Amino acid sequence: MKTLRRQRALADYTLAALARRKVKNSALVGVFSLVVFLLASAMFFASALRHEADTALQGVPDLIVQHLSLGRQGMISEDRIAELESIRGVSKVRGRLWGYYYDRVVGANYTVMVPDGGAMPPPGQVIVGEGVLRARGLDWEGAPLFLSRKQGDLSRFDIAKTFDSDSALLTADLLLMNEADFRAFFSVPAGVYTDIAARVRNANELATIVDKATRIMPDERFVTRDDIARTYMKLFDWREGLMVALGAMAMLAFAIFAADKASGLSAEESREIGILKAIGWDTRDVIAMKLWEGGLVSIGAFLLGCVAAYAHVFWFGATLFAPVLKGWAVIYPDFPLAPVIDAAQLVTLFLLTVLPYAAATVVPVWRVASADPDAVMR
Amino acid sequence: MIFRTPILTLLLVSALAILVALGAAWFGQRVLRQWDLTSGSRAQLLMERRTELISTLFAMVMLAEAVALFLFVFNADRMAALFVGAMCAVGTLNVNPYGFPALYAKIGVFFAAAVWLVMDHVDRLGRDYPLTRAKYALVLAIAPLVIVAGGLELAWYLGLKTDVITSCCSKLFTPANAGISDEMAAVDPALALWALAGAQVLVLALGTFAAKTGRGHGLFALAGAVFFAVALTAMVSVIALYVYENPNHHCPFCILKPEYGYIGYAFYIPLFGATALALGLGAVAPFKRRGSLRAPLPPVLRRLTLWAMAGFAAYGAVTLYAIARSHLILFG
Amino acid sequence: MISLSDVSKTYNEGRPNAVTALHGVTLDIARTGVTVFMGPSGSGKTTLLSLVGCMARPTTGRITLDGEPVSGLPERFLTELRRVKFGFVFQRFNLIRGLSVLDNVMLPAAPSGEDPKAVQARAMMRLEALGLAEKALMPVEVLSGGETQRAAIARALVNDAPVLIADEPTANLDTALTHRFLDIVAGLRDAGKTVILTSHDPRIISASAVTAVVEMRDGQMVRGRG
Ligand SMILES: Nc1ncnc2c1ncn2[C@@H]1O[C@H](COP(=O)(O)OP(=O)(O)OP(=O)(O)O)[C@@H](O)[C@H]1O
Ligand SMILES: [Mg+2]
Repeated sequence: MKTLRRQRALADYTLAALARRKVKNSALVGVFSLVVFLLASAMFFASALRHEADTALQGVPDLIVQHLSLGRQGMISEDRIAELESIRGVSKVRGRLWGYYYDRVVGANYTVMVPDGGAMPPPGQVIVGEGVLRARGLDWEGAPLFLSRKQGDLSRFDIAKTFDSDSALLTADLLLMNEADFRAFFSVPAGVYTDIAARVRNANELATIVDKATRIMPDERFVTRDDIARTYMKLFDWREGLMVALGAMAMLAFAIFAADKASGLSAEESREIGILKAIGWDTRDVIAMKLWEGGLVSIGAFLLGCVAAYAHVFWFGATLFAPVLKGWAVIYPDFPLAPVIDAAQLVTLFLLTVLPYAAATVVPVWRVASADPDAVMR
Repeated sequence: MIFRTPILTLLLVSALAILVALGAAWFGQRVLRQWDLTSGSRAQLLMERRTELISTLFAMVMLAEAVALFLFVFNADRMAALFVGAMCAVGTLNVNPYGFPALYAKIGVFFAAAVWLVMDHVDRLGRDYPLTRAKYALVLAIAPLVIVAGGLELAWYLGLKTDVITSCCSKLFTPANAGISDEMAAVDPALALWALAGAQVLVLALGTFAAKTGRGHGLFALAGAVFFAVALTAMVSVIALYVYENPNHHCPFCILKPEYGYIGYAFYIPLFGATALALGLGAVAPFKRRGSLRAPLPPVLRRLTLWAMAGFAAYGAVTLYAIARSHLILFG
Repeated sequence: MISLSDVSKTYNEGRPNAVTALHGVTLDIARTGVTVFMGPSGSGKTTLLSLVGCMARPTTGRITLDGEPVSGLPERFLTELRRVKFGFVFQRFNLIRGLSVLDNVMLPAAPSGEDPKAVQARAMMRLEALGLAEKALMPVEVLSGGETQRAAIARALVNDAPVLIADEPTANLDTALTHRFLDIVAGLRDAGKTVILTSHDPRIISASAVTAVVEMRDGQMVRGRG
């Protein structure tokens, strides 16, 4: 009770002191929240992308088989489908057709795919991602899409529908075609596929199945969904880490700035602390009061920075960072990121920003607080 | 691997902790050699003032270390997705031989720091610095531990290679794998539950005695340590089975996962907190009769004892809850 | 009784700029009455006051407060003692600018963790007794010299300390205000408080309220009266 009341009295004093030095303290909070904003934006953004990728990966098959010739990926024969089906535990084996198409008109790369199952567009029609439409400037309903593989050869497709932007990270540059159209447009002979996808019901058997399949088909490469997930995660982690490391440099600079501010007290402020010591405040009372001050400044800056970062990333599409984190593709998804933040992220951010600030200011604060109480008597 | 935000953060905390621990140790040896309260000299005065700085810094960094311990495990669990064969923190910790030692060292730092913080708190109650020498003697012991923990952590993170195929909890906590983990897993579930109940009764009884009479905190600390060991054994041997509703999955880390509603934190936070408090109580109990502490110490001891008892009781309550909620039937 | 025996104070001890401000002062100060330290500038009055008021520790010698030795106590102890036993009025009053009179008066109670309502009531009572009640919520920088001094006295008394210490309290006051101050001091003395002042103001030294005068020169006590 007594302790609580003492802390309250100290906090009251601190609040009054902060209010009296508005300019200096707002500057401090301003700069600090900018640092928090940078770090928080990078973290929120990367985790939103990870989340997007996770969602997208849910549709990716458990196992993908690719044909390797001369160390590069080639078309795979449909015979492999039956071979794969003969392995126990493997189901839903199907050949997939997909490739990239470079659009000379706008200088963008599209991913062209033949969907399996329900979404197959009828011949002569395509389903496109919103990025394709934007790149081509096809904003009116019913505008046809003309694609050309080589000089003087133009194919016309009608747009059946466009993707909504839920999983825009993976669909922005996507173009879905009918199988016959695909084979004709890219001159892919019958009986081969780009790769083969399969389902493996029990995730624990995956390693054994890959082992077996490798023995039957030594020329093929097997990619599991976990492999892809890992690659994604590493990519995002690494980029996020790099940005955070940059942000940490900013934090370091700020910590030095804050330490400097805390040690270079104005004559008025040091006199104030001298008075407090003379009228019966102990060194630790002054330290506690100053810690309140630092705490209030940090909390304020932390909240401000986080809220601003949240708005920046989830409402304004992370305009500042997107180019670094999303890659340099010309077609660039334009979609609101799903807000995903967890407690661990906030804890991390807190440790990363408030701890260095506190550590940097404690020593100067202590120096001020250990003034001789009789100093103000003269 | 090092370029992951939580890893950078954890390394930052460790680096700060090492810096502060070194500074505190340097000051600690000076205190042990030169501290003389009866001297009114300027040097002594400055040393007294410096204790405030060291206490503040140490408390700050050690609180950060406690949070970092949580982040350490959480992050290890998250990173499991990066390693073939890893399902939870165990797999990540097993990627190279530094993982588990780093975890144990961090837990060691946590308990040592908690004991120190309790001592510091009590030291500040008495006006004549009653525990200052003992406190700084302890700092000399904690500093190497902090450095070792930081080093192991760094070695572990630097050695995290994603092409390593690691082994996870399903391999570690089975009777087939020799080692302490499998011995814990092999303990008979009924025996483990009885032992847990016994330890719970013992620790609460001793706590009540200590809170009532103001004596016996040393015994309470001992009982707390026993409870800690029994609780972890029971976790691996039987409680985990109830949480996973699977008679063969013994992992004490998977319960921290979101799939199980993060229930692990409801187990471990009270358990670690209460054990830390109990150990701290044991460490300060011998100073009860110091003149300047005779008046202010007993209420504080009582309060800390009650908090520790609440933590131990919470572990038992969460255990009962987990068993009651589970669809697994082990007995009967 | 506050007793000093053979007390010396050296500033910057062991350094080339060391100054010995007090040389072997032995002195008893009665707990009832008003004691004045007088002497020329630089004679060590303020230094003596800071030692008596537990602001600093003597370099050598012993100080006892009601029989309890205080000179060897750790600073932490000394601060607490100072907070409950002494109230200070400084030469330049040292109120904190930007805070209201009431906030200033309540400041010495902050570290003791008392109920803020009780502290506020006490502070208002003191301000009322000193005729400052209606200025309680004003910022201190708008107060006149005399009001500032009375605010400083209210602050010194807020912890109900039995000893009031004032350094050159009338240096900046005119005769009317000096008499008003002496009236306040007489009132405090009658209320059973110990008052210790420094001054070279003859109006103070010859005042009827003063019960003892200690004369200082070059850090030594030359004469005591009363
Ligand atoms: N912190 C200090 N460091 C060095 N010398 C000091 C310090 N404080 C006081 N002195 C010296 O000690 C001596 C006594 O100072 P003190 O302030 O006690 O005098 P005083 O009698 O109060 O003078 P005045 O009437 O002018 O206020 C002076 O010579 C002064 O210069
Ligand atoms: Mg003076």
